[in-house]
Amino acid sequence: MKVGRVIGVVWASKKVKELNGCRLSVVQPISTNGANVGNPLVVADPHSIGAVGNKIIYVTSTDAAQAFDTGVAPVNASVVQLVDEIA
Amino acid sequence: MIFAKVIGTIVSTQKDENLKGKKLLLCKEVTHDGKPLNTYHVAVDAVQAGEGNFVLLTYGSSSRMTEVTKDAPIDAVVSAIIDDVEIEESFK
Repeated sequence: MKVGRVIGVVWASKKVKELNGCRLSVVQPISTNGANVGNPLVVADPHSIGAVGNKIIYVTSTDAAQAFDTGVAPVNASVVQLVDEIA
Repeated sequence: MIFAKVIGTIVSTQKDENLKGKKLLLCKEVTHDGKPLNTYHVAVDAVQAGEGNFVLLTYGSSSRMTEVTKDAPIDAVVSAIIDDVEIEESFK
């Protein structure tokens, strides 16, 4: 799992049915001190956890599909937690 | 998932049994604001995308997790056609 900040949203009306009703966020990966790391990516947010500006934890790879209730979705990354504070 | 632009289609007659009936799209990776990057992907089309479309591309084993691409020998799928990307002004 990695830390990122939601910096925007993706609007797509035509998508595969597995992604219907799922928010798609643009996430900038960040380090623990908040500095940007690498390029932004698109992360699925099936439970609408992270609003724009929020720090979130996202999971990548095949495991990202587990964040969906069905466990099946063509996603490379999913939001799984909202970060309150990194101590 | 990454942003991509469809720049062409690929036609092939001899293909794997599990690829039959699937449209293959040649996609060029782009940034969130549409700037082209130097990476290409051949992706299976799951949303009836066409040339010129700004699309969302899922890669790796996750790309097999749609109804269209189940059990197919692929590693990229066009999973959505993007209407708009809205980036918060302060993060631009």
